[in-house]
Amino acid sequence: MQIILNGETTQIEVEPDTPLLWVIRDIVGLKGTKFGCGKGLCGACTVHLNGSAIRSCITPISVVDGQSIDTIESLVAQTGELHPLQQNWIKHNVPQCGYCQPGQLMSASALLASNPQPNDIEIDNAMIGNLCRCGTYSRIKMAIKDTAGLLRNESDLAYEIKGASTDNV
Amino acid sequence: MSNKLFDEVTATRRQIFQATATAVGGMSLAIVLPGCTTFRSNEIDESGSWKPNAWLEIQPDNTIVFTLDRVEMGQGIATGLSTLLAEELDVSPSKIEVEFAGANKAYRNPAYGVQVTGGSNSISTSWGPIREAGASVRLMILNAASEVLQVPVNYLSTDDGFIVHQGSNKRLSYGSLAGLASKESVPSKPELKNPDKYKYIGKQNNRIDAQKKSLGEAGFGIDVEIPNMKYAVVARSPIIGGKVGSHNGSAVALLPGVLDVIEISTGISIVADSYWRARKAQSALEVDWVKRSEAPLRSEEISAFYQQEASKEGGSVKRSEGNVKDAFEEAQKTLTVEFDAPFLAHATMEPMNCTASVKNGKADIWTSTQAPDVAQVVVAKVTDVSLSDVTVHNQFIGGGFGRRLNQDFVGEAAEISYKSGKVVKLIWSREEDMMHDSFRPASLHKISAALDDQGMPSGWDHNIIVPKIFDWAVWDVAPALFSWAPKFLYPMLGRVGQLTEGTPITPADTSPYEGADNLPYAIPSIQVTHTKADAGVPIAYWRSVGHSHNAFVVECFIDELAAEAKKDSYLYRRELLSNSPRLLNVLNLAASKGGWGEARSEGVYQGIAVHESFNTYVAEMVELEVHDNDIKILKVTCAVDCGLVINPDVVTMQMESGIIFGITAALYGEITIEDGKIQQDNFDTYPLLRIDQSPEIETIIVESTASPTGVGEPGLPPIAPAIANALFKATGRRFRSLPLKLS
Repeated sequence: MQIILNGETTQIEVEPDTPLLWVIRDIVGLKGTKFGCGKGLCGACTVHLNGSAIRSCITPISVVDGQSIDTIESLVAQTGELHPLQQNWIKHNVPQCGYCQPGQLMSASALLASNPQPNDIEIDNAMIGNLCRCGTYSRIKMAIKDTAGLLRNESDLAYEIKGASTDNV
Repeated sequence: MSNKLFDEVTATRRQIFQATATAVGGMSLAIVLPGCTTFRSNEIDESGSWKPNAWLEIQPDNTIVFTLDRVEMGQGIATGLSTLLAEELDVSPSKIEVEFAGANKAYRNPAYGVQVTGGSNSISTSWGPIREAGASVRLMILNAASEVLQVPVNYLSTDDGFIVHQGSNKRLSYGSLAGLASKESVPSKPELKNPDKYKYIGKQNNRIDAQKKSLGEAGFGIDVEIPNMKYAVVARSPIIGGKVGSHNGSAVALLPGVLDVIEISTGISIVADSYWRARKAQSALEVDWVKRSEAPLRSEEISAFYQQEASKEGGSVKRSEGNVKDAFEEAQKTLTVEFDAPFLAHATMEPMNCTASVKNGKADIWTSTQAPDVAQVVVAKVTDVSLSDVTVHNQFIGGGFGRRLNQDFVGEAAEISYKSGKVVKLIWSREEDMMHDSFRPASLHKISAALDDQGMPSGWDHNIIVPKIFDWAVWDVAPALFSWAPKFLYPMLGRVGQLTEGTPITPADTSPYEGADNLPYAIPSIQVTHTKADAGVPIAYWRSVGHSHNAFVVECFIDELAAEAKKDSYLYRRELLSNSPRLLNVLNLAASKGGWGEARSEGVYQGIAVHESFNTYVAEMVELEVHDNDIKILKVTCAVDCGLVINPDVVTMQMESGIIFGITAALYGEITIEDGKIQQDNFDTYPLLRIDQSPEIETIIVESTASPTGVGEPGLPPIAPAIANALFKATGRRFRSLPLKLS
């Protein structure tokens, strides 16, 4: 089997029922994608399959044979420039423990790729499968809106924007 | 968490530092323990650093490495403590590299005597010592610069990691002076900055870990990779207290990729060459679990047992003021009700996991833990390794909330590595993480008030029926505290700790009644009683601990009394808070900023609650709607007084975090037991709040010059009662049972 992982064709020798999550983490060795529930209930393992968000913990590798998979490691551009969502994640101080955030970012980036100006309900619908035990939801929403250019003014926020800009971290 | 465990061993946090030059010309500062004037030479590694207890290193290239002696689990302490250091050292926090401390006595939490992060006290216990240490190092570097430049110190200033000579504007990096500075004596009482000179405290707002965590680059325990590492899973008894009986392990050992099938203390472990193969093999494992002799636990029976214990005399009185008996006899009216709260799982997003290498009498442990020295104890218990030969490599923590104070997963990994002779990474499944958690204890509350002719309370009688968490925690914690003790003494240390709890030897476990015994309302006669009832369900510290249920009871009941008196529940509280100015202040702030009593669209209801926990004062006002059987929380206005603020946005984040965590518990949280088995095992049966249900949260921080206190937990306790009180307005019914259910 082979997958195109973050743009590179990667040969995979493994039992066909092995979940994509463990292939990415333990065989390829990319640790950004997280294990949370094993049942597709929490979204920590979210990656892109041909650009759409899927749960890698319940996706057998055989199902994605020959297809394109992108992980959190692909969000940073080749130039080293962070994805606009990542810049806003930092600006809005989104992460706390940080464990769910790669999955959150993969769901958010799939959303904006297909719908650059989502409304509140569309954001909820795209992000509802991603749990965060630290409760960073309101900041996730703001960071997505900011990226989409939907924050009219900063007084929309319940908090002041104080996170670092990306050039001094 | 309760206060320090055993008084006698608790060292003061007034640390003594000792500086040394590193081999490459830098400076290393280490913590010297009282009574320990010289270092053993084997504590200095090849580079000349005092690795076991290093605290700060400044390298010649001006790299500044700070060893974080509290753990980063999302609460923002890496940023908070770096900020304290940065302020007095005069270097921006973003230039400080943070390393996580291993297990060492030098890093013990002075409030507990063990190396534990919990109880929202990292800032309050570090506030003085870290700034003093930063100021001392800055002075040493200034003195070194004075020698190098041959100018008096008062011609020199510091600027973001550099010494500046005012006359010539010549700049020398701290790193270039570090080797020389290490020979200076460490000042004992350095002068600290005046708060009006602060550059970072109260102003620093970004998190030093935000970028790593937004790139997927933060290394959690589960991400550790060690050469030749194998993967382990453990099958445990689904029945609480069950033991391994006969099983088909020898057949499972022949399955593809399986390397070992081993019996360990908690069940049967399968070691394989991949995690997936270990899991698949586990599904083929059949075990006859031997039930314990007593009748299996059931939730209904536990409730009945609590009721039975409550009816007995002999609870332990924790507060007694005035004469409660007389107050009730003379009352115009009395009100007696019952509250209850369930067992709760922690459900951290990162499931329990640990990588262990145990060989040749040494153990290396890579994990995410809130208690590295307790981890040493559990490793020592199941291997031939002595406590001091267990090295703990702590990682970023994918959620703690008290769960990672227990080290059960560390003990398992160490035992598997020891018995298999392999380096193993043990990962719990979500189902195992939930079913084999140690839970926030369920509680029952019997509470009564005597009311005068104005409807104001003249008497208050609160009996809390709940187990003691200390009874469960002490077995692993006591040996960490008495780390000199040989292993055969461990059970005795636990037993002694348990028996002496609440005596001068072992301070009381306040977890059952914290947040109830310090009732802030001015009531002439008060009695608060704890009745211990332990049903044998494993229990542990859970975010805000006793406050998580006691605040619910106290703040719902006071609201009930206000309604009984036909008074506004906010104004009723105000009348009774004359002795608690800081609580009164946050209550007023939440009510005024939240628009208490102002007109809202039809169907929007308000509720309020106020509570002090961990010396932080928080009021929360909720606005919600009710649609059939659904509760939709629209907005939470939160006012917090945590003394002087180190990082305003981290305070705001932690209020948001405590509120969301608390809403999950208030609306959904419930662990139940049937035939000895936990009934919830994943996020379908134990749901967490999702983004579409997440309310707008506005946080107001009180400006204060009081000593800083913690924020990791105090946002949680007021939210459940604030919601329940709003539900009363919406439905006319009182909600005295958690989780809050409309039908």
